[in-house]
Amino acid sequence: MTQDRYRCGFCLLLPACAAIVVLFAAYGWFFWASLFRPGAEGGLALGGAPGLHNYVRILSSPEELAILGDTLWVSLELTAVTLVIGLPMALAIARSHSKLFRGFILFSLAVTFLSGGVTRAYAWLIMLGNRGLINSWLQQLGLTSSPIQMVHNWTGVSIALVHFLLPFLVFTLVGAIKNVPVSVEEAARNLGASRMRTFLLITLPLLSSGIVVAAALTYSLALSAFLFPMLLGGGRVRMVANYIYERIFVSYDLPFAAATSVVFLAVAVSVIASFSALERLARRASAR
Amino acid sequence: MRAVSSGALNLDHIGKRYGAIQVVRDVALEIPRGAFLTLLGPSGCGKTTILRMIAGFANLDEGRILIDGGDISHLAPEARGTGMVFQNYALFPHLSVAGNVGFGLRMRRVARSDIDRRVGAALELVKLGGFEDRYPSQLSGGQQQRVALARALAIEPKVLLLDEPLGALDRNLRDAMQIELRRLQRHLGITTVMVTHDQEEALLLSDWIAVMNCGRIEQFGEPLEIYDRPRSAFVAQFMGIPNLLNGRIEREHGHAVAIRLAGGGLIEGWTRARVSVGRDVVVAVRPSHLKLADATGSDSGVPAKVAYHSVLGERITYNLELASGAELEVHVPRHGAGAERAPGTQVHVIFDPAHTVVLES
Repeated sequence: MTQDRYRCGFCLLLPACAAIVVLFAAYGWFFWASLFRPGAEGGLALGGAPGLHNYVRILSSPEELAILGDTLWVSLELTAVTLVIGLPMALAIARSHSKLFRGFILFSLAVTFLSGGVTRAYAWLIMLGNRGLINSWLQQLGLTSSPIQMVHNWTGVSIALVHFLLPFLVFTLVGAIKNVPVSVEEAARNLGASRMRTFLLITLPLLSSGIVVAAALTYSLALSAFLFPMLLGGGRVRMVANYIYERIFVSYDLPFAAATSVVFLAVAVSVIASFSALERLARRASAR
Repeated sequence: MRAVSSGALNLDHIGKRYGAIQVVRDVALEIPRGAFLTLLGPSGCGKTTILRMIAGFANLDEGRILIDGGDISHLAPEARGTGMVFQNYALFPHLSVAGNVGFGLRMRRVARSDIDRRVGAALELVKLGGFEDRYPSQLSGGQQQRVALARALAIEPKVLLLDEPLGALDRNLRDAMQIELRRLQRHLGITTVMVTHDQEEALLLSDWIAVMNCGRIEQFGEPLEIYDRPRSAFVAQFMGIPNLLNGRIEREHGHAVAIRLAGGGLIEGWTRARVSVGRDVVVAVRPSHLKLADATGSDSGVPAKVAYHSVLGERITYNLELASGAELEVHVPRHGAGAERAPGTQVHVIFDPAHTVVLES
């Protein structure tokens, strides 16, 4: 009977295994492709002898490394900004007594979450453009004489990306905050801690792992940003995803694009892994 | 730890509304310094709300709360100097036992060396000396409960607040903790307000009990007074008296009255307030305050018939039917009770006049 159960359990694993095999086969093929040169027939064809020449090219190209570094750094900045805006919002949703206030914040986030990326990108173009809403208000109010450049640069891309990232971070954090019992915070107040000290000494340390998880999610979403840099960057802002896209569809160098994405994946995974190391540190520090 | 300088607590006609629902109505209580008061009642009766109002976690809509004559109603929770033990202990999971117990002292900027000494003393008090470096997750439920108590005591609060402090413990542990809690409270002489729905716990621990129902105090008094002489049907039933009988006052002489039961039979009873002859009343009688006699050869007592009986260890519970159709529960000790009385047997029920209480309508 036990054996039957094992056999049955194995059968149940098959669909999951199949899905994993398909996913990893795609990565595997990408890695395999990164070892070649573009084939003479174009398209997906590969040519030349397998080797690490694409990787050598990436690691010795300042332009490549700059884009990689920019993407990693900007994503970190975006994560930090999103966290600073999102944490108070999450606290308000999880802890506010006012149903109306909670509902308002939830609704505005949900609208953001559910509206399509392209729509939102064009909406931001209309808002932020040189003749956009914000610039025309600023000029009508006399705060500025010439329009402030807010699109086709990092400013516009960053605004749109923070807007895109916010719901993911907030919804993840709300769950974490709801896991911190209110009574624990009340106990701290009862023992003489002010609101602020309760937050810093009790709530924040208990939230640290939740914050790291939310930040890691936000960070990985920021890293893979493609649409907003493309539409709002106007060709002047490139993140890794845009660069890979150009390599495939502009210079038709699929193996090089594949190598770039492999390097990027490796770097991104190690950065995100360091997030969990950070969390362990935070937990240890707060335990004193 | 020495005896603390705790304060007298005064709830001055406090009230609280949540929307249209009045959860606390005009509660007025004065608790002298060092006394143990229990707010006793079913869930949703407003007792926990009162505790939260004292701690500062719920606002007052009416009245004032005073400690030693000073109004604390508008102080922030951290400025009130109360020590609260929460129902689920609410220990700080990321802090060690010492970190938990010393938290309040840290907030008061007590010197490091003093904190260590006072944490040690507080833990010694709850018999957890040597547990300083453990974490809450490494402790049993009973130990966590003690840490929560030590944490509240370490700040030498003016008033100790206990929210169902023993509710999550199993029976044996709870019995042991009850005795210990009582000993500690007496030893420290700390003014204490406890919330519970467990009447035994209230009887064992309290100097004073306030029985609450629907946000109102139904009866306030010393434990035995509440136990023996409930004022209302609600208090009687909450204190474990199932027998409520209808009758009419036939004679009255101060506290002593004679009551003609609805189905016939004359019994003597006790009334707190004067009642006039001819009034319809309800009397409450505890099952253990009734005796059974054979129907033959006895003309005292009220005739009844055994409907069924059950043997529960040390006692036999008889469920009787009176002539009026009313049911009556009687507890008889099994030891020395003589033969069991089978269902259908006619018996006479003897009432104890001191424990046959006329309820106030």
